[in-house]
Amino acid sequence: MESFFVRYRNPLVLLAILVAQIIGLAVQVRQTGSGRNTLDSPDSSEVRLIRLWADMLVSPPERLIHSSKLGVGYLWQNYLDLRHVREQNQDLQKTIDRLRLEQASLLEDAHQGQRLQALLGFQQKYIYTTLAAQAIGSSGSDQSRVFYLDKGSADGLERDMAVITADGIVGKVRDVFPHSAQVLAINDQTSGAGVILETTRVRGVLRGNAAGQPEIVDIMSDQRIQPGEKVLTAGGDQIFPRGLPVGVVEKVVRDPDRDSFIDVIVKPAAQLDRLDEVLVITSTQPRFSPQDQQDIATSESLKGAEAAAIQAQQKASQIMAERLPGLTDPNLPPDQQPLLDTSNPNPVAHPPLALHPDRFTPGAATAPAPDADAGSTPGAAHGLPREKQTSAPEDRNGSAAPKVAPKANLKPGSKPSLKSGQPTQPAQTKPQRNP
Amino acid sequence: MSVLGANFRRDLEIRRYPLLVYALVPLAALVLQAWLPRLLGRYAWFDLPLVVTVYFALGRRSPIQGTLMGAAMGLFEDALTHHAIGINGIAKTVVGFLAASVGVRIDVDNHTIRLILNFLLSLLASAIYVFINRVLLGLDLEWQWFTELFKAIGNSLIALVLFPLLDRLQIKD
Repeated sequence: MESFFVRYRNPLVLLAILVAQIIGLAVQVRQTGSGRNTLDSPDSSEVRLIRLWADMLVSPPERLIHSSKLGVGYLWQNYLDLRHVREQNQDLQKTIDRLRLEQASLLEDAHQGQRLQALLGFQQKYIYTTLAAQAIGSSGSDQSRVFYLDKGSADGLERDMAVITADGIVGKVRDVFPHSAQVLAINDQTSGAGVILETTRVRGVLRGNAAGQPEIVDIMSDQRIQPGEKVLTAGGDQIFPRGLPVGVVEKVVRDPDRDSFIDVIVKPAAQLDRLDEVLVITSTQPRFSPQDQQDIATSESLKGAEAAAIQAQQKASQIMAERLPGLTDPNLPPDQQPLLDTSNPNPVAHPPLALHPDRFTPGAATAPAPDADAGSTPGAAHGLPREKQTSAPEDRNGSAAPKVAPKANLKPGSKPSLKSGQPTQPAQTKPQRNP
Repeated sequence: MSVLGANFRRDLEIRRYPLLVYALVPLAALVLQAWLPRLLGRYAWFDLPLVVTVYFALGRRSPIQGTLMGAAMGLFEDALTHHAIGINGIAKTVVGFLAASVGVRIDVDNHTIRLILNFLLSLLASAIYVFINRVLLGLDLEWQWFTELFKAIGNSLIALVLFPLLDRLQIKD
């Protein structure tokens, strides 16, 4: 037995390590309700500790490199330059190199100052509370589009906080360490952000593809979506506030798996490959500047004064209405209403009476035209006597008016076109023939 | 045939390095792998931890040490990502074991051999990575074969430059 282990020691060690790692993988992956495997669940404490160790191992050198601005490019150029300097003119070239380095450093500082100034301007204008942070490292894998910030839980960062720049959204905080944080970029395959197209108002979910390009997936084929259309955050994912720029539509491609669906490739507004300074939205409570707060207070006070003025005006109107006589008094009989008062200088105007009233004339629904035959009158159909059908109410003088307006319409001051005593039928004129 | 002249026993020279090299070179590889993509963006077609794993596995000619080295590098690489920890670990464990096993049999000082070995082992690591993600774990991982090909080429070219530099650090009797 001992010789077996000695003889197959190498494969056994390999097998043991592989099995241990496979078991570790099985512990981390879980199956969702829809039957898909996912890694989205929060890490267990053991895994979290490994990530913390890795972060503690890698972040300090990265921070050192970033703070001292010792890029590989600088080292490489300086190494080659120094070799040439020693061969030619050491002292003079050293001076030139020093000046070049200073110039490059100053130029880099100036560029960084400009970027920070733009970021500060955006931060001051932005309504939410944000925290500026520097990107110091990445995952090192093109399958994992994450990067690291130099701020962590000690600075107030928490999981699922949105990370943005002045140009657009960048990603969300995925893991937080004491002095650093891991950010999942929007072009990662496992990311997800609710977005909306600005013009067509089509909503979708943004995630990354294999090439590291953000794309909106699960959209029905729509001819209106054209390249160049702006993409904004929809605000439904509880991470990114609504209306932040995401990018513009670069192209629309057909979903390879489903015929009626399309994928919208988005050109991100933020430079996801070259991130330096970013803002982390630490609170989505609106934050107003002193000027904004003053404007809001002024607006509130003006609104209160205006409401008080309107209320006082309504009260005065009610008092005036109580004091002034009305056109109708419910306590008086109809013939004594103030509307019929002859002393009223502004009588209510009424339309003139029709010269040829018929059954469509207002107020004469039951009074047919005199020349209409009995068969066409509505009353005839019900077998009513013609005298009843053609009887008209009497006016205030007792004269018969075959076709008059209702009594209430007869008011002083008006000029009725049909006076009582006049024939109801105008004289028919025979058409004159030309000689 | 001088390349394949060594027999199956470990009669070739086993290289030894100062302890500091064992600690600092893998650490530098991990830090640079995490930092350089920030400068190079999507054109970071290399895997420095893999190259370092292959180098030490070839130099030490011990499959167990190569296995452990690959597992450690891969696990730390996984820990820097947001993926499951162990995917790169398994891939580099296999690579370390194979590199050390090959190093026992052939002379790995030849540049052509180093170039080909790095190229093939890089492709193998990428294949294992995709296999674990898509088949073993059933995750929806998209990948592009030409990216993996470029990465293998990049690893080979880096190995051509890096291996002679690391050779200078070995302890010579």
